[in-house]
Amino acid sequence: MKVHRLVSTLIACGLLCASTLASAYDADWKRGRIYYRSVCTACHAAQAGGSIAPSTMTKAEWGAYLQKDKHAKGKDSVKQYVSKSYRASIRSQNKAADKFADLPDEELFEDLKAFLIKGAKDGDAPASCS
Amino acid sequence: MERIYIFTRFERFWHWTQALLIIAMLITGFEIHGTYKLFGFEKADQLHVYAAWALITLWVFAIFWHFTTGEWRQYLPSFKKIDVVIRHYAWGIFQGEPHPFKMTRARKHNPLQAFAYLGVKILINPLIWISGLAYLYYNELEAAGVALNLGTIAMLHTIGAFMMLCFLIAHVYLITTGHTVTAHLKAMITGWEEDDAEPDKQTP
Amino acid sequence: MKISHLGLLASLLFAGIVQAADAPAPTKLNTTADHSKFKELQREFTSGPEVTKACLTCHTEAALQIHRTKHWTWELVNPLNQQRLGKKNVINNYCLSSGTNLGACATCHVGYGWTDASFDFKSQENVDCLVCHDTSGNYKKLQGGGQPPVKDTENPPGSGKIVKAIDLAAIAQKVGKTSRDTCGACHFFGGGGDGVKHGDMDSSLASPEKSVDVHMDATGLDFTCSTCHKAPAHDVVGSRYTPTGKDAGDAHIRGKVNKSNPATCQSCHGQTPHKAGAQPAKLNQHSDKVACQTCHIPQFARGGVPTKMNWDWSAAGKLSPEGKPMLKKDAHGHVIYDSKKGDFVVAENVTPEYAWFNGEVTYTLLGDKVDKADGITQINALGGNASDGRSLIWPMKVMRGSQPFDPVNKTLLKAHLAGNDDTAFWKNFNWEKAIETGMKDANAPFSGKVDFLKTEMYWPITHMVAPKEKAVGCNECHATGGRLDKIQGVYIPGRDANQLVNLIGWLAAGGTLAGVMLHALVRIVRRKN
Repeated sequence: MKVHRLVSTLIACGLLCASTLASAYDADWKRGRIYYRSVCTACHAAQAGGSIAPSTMTKAEWGAYLQKDKHAKGKDSVKQYVSKSYRASIRSQNKAADKFADLPDEELFEDLKAFLIKGAKDGDAPASCS
Repeated sequence: MERIYIFTRFERFWHWTQALLIIAMLITGFEIHGTYKLFGFEKADQLHVYAAWALITLWVFAIFWHFTTGEWRQYLPSFKKIDVVIRHYAWGIFQGEPHPFKMTRARKHNPLQAFAYLGVKILINPLIWISGLAYLYYNELEAAGVALNLGTIAMLHTIGAFMMLCFLIAHVYLITTGHTVTAHLKAMITGWEEDDAEPDKQTP
Repeated sequence: MKISHLGLLASLLFAGIVQAADAPAPTKLNTTADHSKFKELQREFTSGPEVTKACLTCHTEAALQIHRTKHWTWELVNPLNQQRLGKKNVINNYCLSSGTNLGACATCHVGYGWTDASFDFKSQENVDCLVCHDTSGNYKKLQGGGQPPVKDTENPPGSGKIVKAIDLAAIAQKVGKTSRDTCGACHFFGGGGDGVKHGDMDSSLASPEKSVDVHMDATGLDFTCSTCHKAPAHDVVGSRYTPTGKDAGDAHIRGKVNKSNPATCQSCHGQTPHKAGAQPAKLNQHSDKVACQTCHIPQFARGGVPTKMNWDWSAAGKLSPEGKPMLKKDAHGHVIYDSKKGDFVVAENVTPEYAWFNGEVTYTLLGDKVDKADGITQINALGGNASDGRSLIWPMKVMRGSQPFDPVNKTLLKAHLAGNDDTAFWKNFNWEKAIETGMKDANAPFSGKVDFLKTEMYWPITHMVAPKEKAVGCNECHATGGRLDKIQGVYIPGRDANQLVNLIGWLAAGGTLAGVMLHALVRIVRRKN
């Protein structure tokens, strides 16, 4: 009994380590916050009709949204707006895009995700727009 | 009619540049003083300071010119015939009398004029210069141990400005008192003064 | 035997998987210690003090350092006038005073369990490390002792509000340097809500744009609070109780012993910060009389969060016809009346008031004589004038209010506001009872009579420095009726003039003009004849 528990714990632990190491990246929600506010929210507020507070959706909804990766009802992808090429295209007018110009796409995407999950309606710190 | 070349090219350049700068400084200065709003304080102050340095530079050249050419003697005060000149402005001018002072290359200014210019040069100008520089370098003076009240500096500078304004008004008017209204003005533009020494057609 | 076999198998499996994962974690460059790797933190924590004990196994001196600070003691003696200050002692015109309200107030104490006088200030494990060193942004403290919620908790008790549990181990494993978020968790919310107290500090500074704060600009310089408010031995410098009115020193240089306050503008920018523009020298000359903040913070509360400008306690306690406490909001949804607290005036983008200030602050403390007849009582009278050589003209948020005082004993009063008991004002709406409790706790006399008097509290403004293009223009002070219209003792060109000189001057100029015009007129008339 004890043995089994030990084994399963170790396996679970191993799998957990593996999964963390596979992504091998410790997301920075504060970086996500800056990018989300300065790029996502700024553009949505100015061009796409209104603010998009993280707290308008649940963690699960944000997770699913980012998983599907469909932006503007499927016209394009979310990843595209986090990509280096997009950042390069707006960096002359956008300080956040400029600041994070050289960040790998996956890292910035994880940062953004961390902020959205944290700021979701049922997240650890729901983030609304003041 | 006699024509004499009375104002050299440098003198005329000096005069007109100085006139322009002084008028600009009066306009901007009284705005800084809070008398009216025209350019806005910042712009007025900036123009005033630029003009001040331009004028100081000009004065340095002018002083050099006066001493190297000996022209400074033009301003030596003299009471000789001053009563006649005063009588002319108070009475004779209304009768159409010619000006009693005969200007020459060696003595361009009538005694009253020489006194006025001397006053500008030894009283008004130094007052404005010194108070103006103190205004500009107020903090440096304080740091050097010369603690002056900015209000006092400003007051002296303002007194100088009012004196300059009065001088300017009188001066602009008096240039119309040549043998024709524009004779003196022309002289300061061309350098040549027409003297009405000989009786001419203008005399009634 | 069997056990070891299985164990071995498991270990092999474990190792295999680890090796299979190709990308190793990148080396962390912002710290030399990854706290998630520490055995001491790889466990379940059921309370805040448990985490602190784990911290102290390595950081052996940390709690003792904290014990020496205002963040812990909430008390200090002002070396200039020996007044005993700190949150423990002062009375202000927001929530009046801590005292019996510690259960609510001390949620922002850097400790665990301070609810009354029995709190052990010598306890090391009661120091709260996480509240300042959390980087996850998930740390929370509950009212009534400031403990973190390790399970879902109703807080305050009886409020029906559920605070969700937090994972202390996860938070402890991610500790790091302090940030705008950690300092802000308390300092942005002083006075009971976002932006209420300071005016130049609110949640907009957590991740601000350049226009809100040129230094903290999240996409630019990205200063944290501690970039300026350095904290040698955990003692954060730059307290409002002992501020620097005029820093006449040069910019701090590495290696040089700099004893002056490192949080002043001058400690980085020096005395001649203006290098470009039309007249940098003239601007630099202002630094002997004008605080940097006066020109560089054109307005406060610029981040979209309003600050409280007026708080009238005398209006508190009005109940609805049904006997229920009321809440009134303005068009923007900001509370302007609360039965618990009275009338509020809130404002955004507020132009500061200005005053000479030399860094000396004298509080009106409990027991100090106050009287309605003396006009407005100053909660914290500021020292300074034009001629003491130690003052600069500072921008101020002036918090105005009306608050309870004892008309017989002529003192300010402490009131018991928060609490689920028979005397708390926010529950019973009875001033006499609430004050009796508050004053008894403070061991101070109370006549039983309550009246209200007007008070003012001064907040020298220093955060929310605007980009230089937004600095206050010359014209706004160098004019009559300008920002510095009421500032005495200094000659401001454009505002001031010697009226006698003006009179004589204009008479002389006008006289000259009249004289020459008369002269001209006579000439013209004579010539025509």
